Amino acid sequence: MATAFPSPGSLAALRFQLRELVKLTRRTLEMAVAPRRGGRAARRAFAEQMHLVGNRSMPFMIVTMAFIGAIISFQTALQSQEILPDLSQVGATFTKLLVRDLAASVGALPLATRVGAGIAAELGSMVVTEQVDALRMNNADPVETLVLPRFVACVVMGTVVLVVGGFVAFGAGVLVGQVAFGIEARTFASTALLNGGDVALGLAKCATYGGAIALVSSERGLSAFGGSEGVGRATTEAVVGSCFTIIVLNVLLSTGGHFLLPAL
Amino acid sequence: MILTEPVPPPDPGPPASPAASPAPGVAEAAVDLHAVSLAFGPKQVFRDLDLRLEAGRVHALIGPPAVGKSTTLKLIAGLMRPDAGEVHVLGQRIDDLSERALGAVRERMGMLFQNNALFDVSVGENVAFPLRRIDAGLTEATIRARVSERLAKVALAGFEERQPAELSGGQKKRVGLARATVADAALVLYDEPTAGLDPVTSQKIYDLVRGEQRATESTAVVVSSDVAGVLTIADHVAMFYEGRVVFTGSPDEARASRVPVVHQFVHGTLEGPL
Repeated sequence: MATAFPSPGSLAALRFQLRELVKLTRRTLEMAVAPRRGGRAARRAFAEQMHLVGNRSMPFMIVTMAFIGAIISFQTALQSQEILPDLSQVGATFTKLLVRDLAASVGALPLATRVGAGIAAELGSMVVTEQVDALRMNNADPVETLVLPRFVACVVMGTVVLVVGGFVAFGAGVLVGQVAFGIEARTFASTALLNGGDVALGLAKCATYGGAIALVSSERGLSAFGGSEGVGRATTEAVVGSCFTIIVLNVLLSTGGHFLLPAL
Repeated sequence: MILTEPVPPPDPGPPASPAASPAPGVAEAAVDLHAVSLAFGPKQVFRDLDLRLEAGRVHALIGPPAVGKSTTLKLIAGLMRPDAGEVHVLGQRIDDLSERALGAVRERMGMLFQNNALFDVSVGENVAFPLRRIDAGLTEATIRARVSERLAKVALAGFEERQPAELSGGQKKRVGLARATVADAALVLYDEPTAGLDPVTSQKIYDLVRGEQRATESTAVVVSSDVAGVLTIADHVAMFYEGRVVFTGSPDEARASRVPVVHQFVHGTLEGPL
């Protein structure tokens, strides 16, 4: 039986990638629950990834989310003004949208471009320079050594970054609402439309998207082949795949959230 | 490239057979590939490949590019699995082992990769890596001492804190060699250890390979395109061509071979089937 790899872009390739992603997800989750080895090197790997995903992404995410918050606030107020000449609900609606969905779902897309591309490029380079084979030769499981620290870092620090980004978007939205439409700041801080379910759903989305970015990008990186061209292809596929996965997960989580954690 | 005449059967060599207890008088095999077939999609790399490499010797695997020499090393290392056939390494069949079970076999193996495959950590940490991964209960002081001793052996004493990016090509090879041999492996695989190096540095690397093999009485399998260089240290040569082994024997037998493809490749002449 020949060791056949489906040609890129084909339906068979997509099926193959999905199967590999499911396998990688299962193995990573198993290891996340019961890591086999610890030690100084493992702790250092986790700390490095936390720093890369969290601290290094923060400036980019703050600037991006400030613009996104400003745009959402402006468009929400503009549309409200055109339909009902009443801006009293804009603040509370904007906050609810941000908490329940947009801070996580919109923020995860720029996060995927930055973090996902980095993960895929790094792991892809390690594959084509045989470093992953060297790990295996030395009894270091690539999933445990490479994927697990990135997964944990993306879940934890991805959530932190998206929450901070949400606050920044909130601040920018308040500012735009006040300056452009004269909406009082305290109406944005109104929690009248918010409940615990909104916060829980928002946080669940942040953590899920973070984990998805790590897994999709790691899978693509570890599947790289063919030198620098292969690394480039893996990086592109990681960003596209991560963004697509975030959108699909948003549909699933929002649908689940609608029934399990209904909005007020 | 297509042969203008059929490739003759391999020169007389040890009979290929599944790894089992060797018959009296027959040296134990460190590696035994039996009826191995492997294809990448439509490209058939091996069909019923047989190869037996005796323990305690330096084996050179030679042949034109893309005939499966490096793939053979990856099969031996368990980094690839054959589509059919058996791979026996250090007395154990490995082609059907799980990744975890392979770990026990790999603890007795070392490998120098074609691209060196050094990690983005210090030279000392690179060399210490195999020692940290084996369950030998080594103390930090012992590991540091072993790393220093091994780096001194490859003429890189005091390089522990350097980063791989700061090293020349030859120095990277020597770090890779130190990492491959630091755990006193019984079987060390070298994939193009002198690729891209000048002749003097290449010969130094070959001397290190030979010296290490003699000092530890291990088995070394060297894949190299530098035929003249690798034959200076090899005890045994196997030449690959068109998915099979077309020659096995000593370096002198390789040089004297009348098989056209072997003669042309070993002597580097332009006339011939290659």
